[in-house]
Amino acid sequence: MYNTLIRNIIRFIVLVVMQVLVFDNMRFGNYIHPCVYVLFLMILPFDTTKWSLLINGFVLGMAVDIFSGTPGLNAAATVFMAFIRPFVINIMTRKSDLEGKNEPTITDMGSQWFIVYGLLLLLLHNLMLFWLEAFSIKLLGLILLETILSAPISLLIIILIIYVFKPVKK
Amino acid sequence: MYNLFIFIKKYNAVILFILLEALCFVMIVQSLPYQNRKMVNMSNNIAGGISKTTSNWYDYLHLKSENEELVEQNALLLSRLGCDEVETDTVYYDDIFTYIPAHVINNSIYEMNNFILIDKGRVDGIEPDMGVICSNGVVGKVLNVSNHYASVMSMLNSYAVISCRFVENQYVANVIWDNESYKYGIVKDIPSHLIINIGDTLVTSGFSNSFPADIMVGIIEDNTDNAKGMFSTAKLKFSTNFSTLRHVYVVKNNFRAEIDSLCITH
Repeated sequence: MYNTLIRNIIRFIVLVVMQVLVFDNMRFGNYIHPCVYVLFLMILPFDTTKWSLLINGFVLGMAVDIFSGTPGLNAAATVFMAFIRPFVINIMTRKSDLEGKNEPTITDMGSQWFIVYGLLLLLLHNLMLFWLEAFSIKLLGLILLETILSAPISLLIIILIIYVFKPVKK
Repeated sequence: MYNLFIFIKKYNAVILFILLEALCFVMIVQSLPYQNRKMVNMSNNIAGGISKTTSNWYDYLHLKSENEELVEQNALLLSRLGCDEVETDTVYYDDIFTYIPAHVINNSIYEMNNFILIDKGRVDGIEPDMGVICSNGVVGKVLNVSNHYASVMSMLNSYAVISCRFVENQYVANVIWDNESYKYGIVKDIPSHLIINIGDTLVTSGFSNSFPADIMVGIIEDNTDNAKGMFSTAKLKFSTNFSTLRHVYVVKNNFRAEIDSLCITH
């Protein structure tokens, strides 16, 4: 229990620092904006309550927002993602599948499951984020283009990060 | 009350979600200038659009009375045409003032400070401080201007003052609102030796650059003398009926900048 908490705090700090220092300065063309910090929210344990998911999402989004000078922008998107996460998990798995499973990670759920799960969450998160950034329905085409291009790239980077930080099995 | 608690307990996550999103939204709109301007623009457009639609319906329903008013005004203008012919070679009255017609799309008369919204804006040449009149008399002054709309401070506003002249004896006084009824105003700064009769007419003096001279303001309703020192006041009935205001004219003074440049400023 204690272990999980410390691990999550370290994850939080590492991911936010990575996002702010590295990925916020990285632009592949005009439309691709990699969001890596949401990994923290993706792999919180299954038994996290909705309350703490939402609060975690808000704090995570605000942490990134403070560094990028856009209060509320990322927070709105992460809160939305935290809200939608239980529904996505519900759609994709049966209750019986979750027995003995701890976190929605590649090690626990398999890579195929994780790719679909991560892509769904990232698409929804990016849709919200880019919509708030554009703040207009007239730019819907642009928002969709950004979302469709950014989400797979983000997922790719996230999977790379997971493999880089994967604990070595003994 | 018990049901409310059950509701909150059942949907606590949804409520928290909505609260957090609302908080984020407020932060975004407050701190990011682009989003802020978009939001203000959107709410203005929605409010303006709704007001305009309702006012269109209202206009249609009041075509008859509007028609009568226009006929009256026509008659008045025709009669003026007859008697003013002599002066036309000296000063061209219409060169100084231009009249821009506008529709009233929102109007309040029961507040402490009342404002009118009209459907002409900066694009149509309207600027702050221009006078606004209607066929019956003075309405107010333009306060704020956006691209297609303008807000007008009507005479029914505690900050509105207008310089007037008695038609009967050419004395000058100021008119303010009595802060109570949309029908009545107060004439103040009347020299106390002046004898005021019920039914005396007040018109604009033309001293302010916003209004041309001799626009009707109102008629004295009550002359109970309550003189304090050198000046007395009287009750005035506005000639404009603010509650049925539909069509107004914004008065543009073409020489305003020139006149202002001559005014001594401290």
